[in-house]
Amino acid sequence: MDFSVIRDNLDYFLIGAYPNGPLGGAALTLVLSVLSGIAAAVLGLVLGIALSTLKGWPRGILIAVLGFLRAIPVLMLIFWSYFLLPILFHVDIPALFTVVCALSLIGGAYLAYSVHAGIQSLPDGQWAAARALGMRPVQVMRLIILPQALPIMLPSFLNQWISLIKDTSLAYVIGVGELSFVATQVSNRVMVHPTEIFLFVALVYFVFCSSLDLLANFATGKQQVKRGG
Amino acid sequence: MFGELLGPQYLKWLFDGFLLTLTLSVAVCLIATGLGFLVCLARLGSSRLASWPARTYLSLLRNTPLLVQLFFWYFGVSALLPEGLVSWLNQPHELNLAGLDISWPSFEFIAGFWGLTLYTSAFIAEEFRAGVASVRPQQREAGMAMGMRPAQVWLYIVLPQALRTALGPLLGQYMNALKNSSLTMAIGLAELSYASRQVETETFKTFQSFGFATLLYTLSIALIEAAGQWIRQTRRYRQGAA
Repeated sequence: MDFSVIRDNLDYFLIGAYPNGPLGGAALTLVLSVLSGIAAAVLGLVLGIALSTLKGWPRGILIAVLGFLRAIPVLMLIFWSYFLLPILFHVDIPALFTVVCALSLIGGAYLAYSVHAGIQSLPDGQWAAARALGMRPVQVMRLIILPQALPIMLPSFLNQWISLIKDTSLAYVIGVGELSFVATQVSNRVMVHPTEIFLFVALVYFVFCSSLDLLANFATGKQQVKRGG
Repeated sequence: MFGELLGPQYLKWLFDGFLLTLTLSVAVCLIATGLGFLVCLARLGSSRLASWPARTYLSLLRNTPLLVQLFFWYFGVSALLPEGLVSWLNQPHELNLAGLDISWPSFEFIAGFWGLTLYTSAFIAEEFRAGVASVRPQQREAGMAMGMRPAQVWLYIVLPQALRTALGPLLGQYMNALKNSSLTMAIGLAELSYASRQVETETFKTFQSFGFATLLYTLSIALIEAAGQWIRQTRRYRQGAA
């Protein structure tokens, strides 16, 4: 094992060609996962609330769309958004944005069900009591339901974020210069020590994901203590 | 934009890709279930000698992206293996399984299969563990009180209940394995996603090629879902629930 190839290219692994070029490497992986994490959380919250409140055929359509998003591979969705978005909006869209778009759609579809489950977990009496106090449905959701349901959902949001960090590696297939892409670039350039390069890259992802994993476990544990469980 | 349909030779590419996706996913699911079960047993074991390696295995495989793992096995490990073994793996060999002649898989297939199996086994092990944890300790105590040996308690009391709880999540992991098999295109395995990309570059019929691949993926996922519903309706499954 010879890790000098890591030391020689460390800057490139961590920040890409920045500041002389675009941001890349591990920093871009973080940027991608933060952006798509926030977008997925917002989307998941909206879709989850819609899933809990809609009735009849709009709900049927929503379930079909969510089922479709959960059934296709992330890779396929990245292909679709890479080719569809420019056609839909008639402008050149950066590859980075298409990745964020695809990842937040997938993440949002999964989170919608967590949000739905969190809302369902509250007893019906909460709704009834708030309605009896004369609150409008929007107020009930904002003031009564969500403040109680959001802490329950926190671990699944964090777990979804871990998946998102791992899925940002798929941006590789459309040439976004994040950590995995940079790794194959360096590996192809130096032609030796691929083992060391991919071990190092795996380690960086491992640090990102397992620290979030610890946080999620901490959040779950804290909740159980709070509920006396 | 929509235009005409794909020519027959391109449809054949896509079907060949789909066949490879299915073969890979079925092989991965079978082996990963067995491996995941063993890892789950090691993880639950009372001996630290077994549970700590299992913990490390789970945490390493679950907290790194599959794509990087595939690159690691395909590029990284093949550089470490002795040259003789790599060239042996690359050469075709006669493979005879139960009277059936199977063509020797490509090195891409072996690396993809290996990487995907390990990744999937880590997730399956955790689903099994959750299933076992859902069986209340009183069940085990009752079994012991009836004079069963620990192995019998496991076989007749814990496992049937744990497997029933784990069925849904397990099928979910099979779906994930099928979807994740698309990542093997990055190491050059000509499965469905690879084929759709190839057809797209050849014909410029983006909608048809991606649409067809998407349809095939959605159909296979729907089939797994239907299989799950069917199992839940069988008498054997319902009997145990009572």
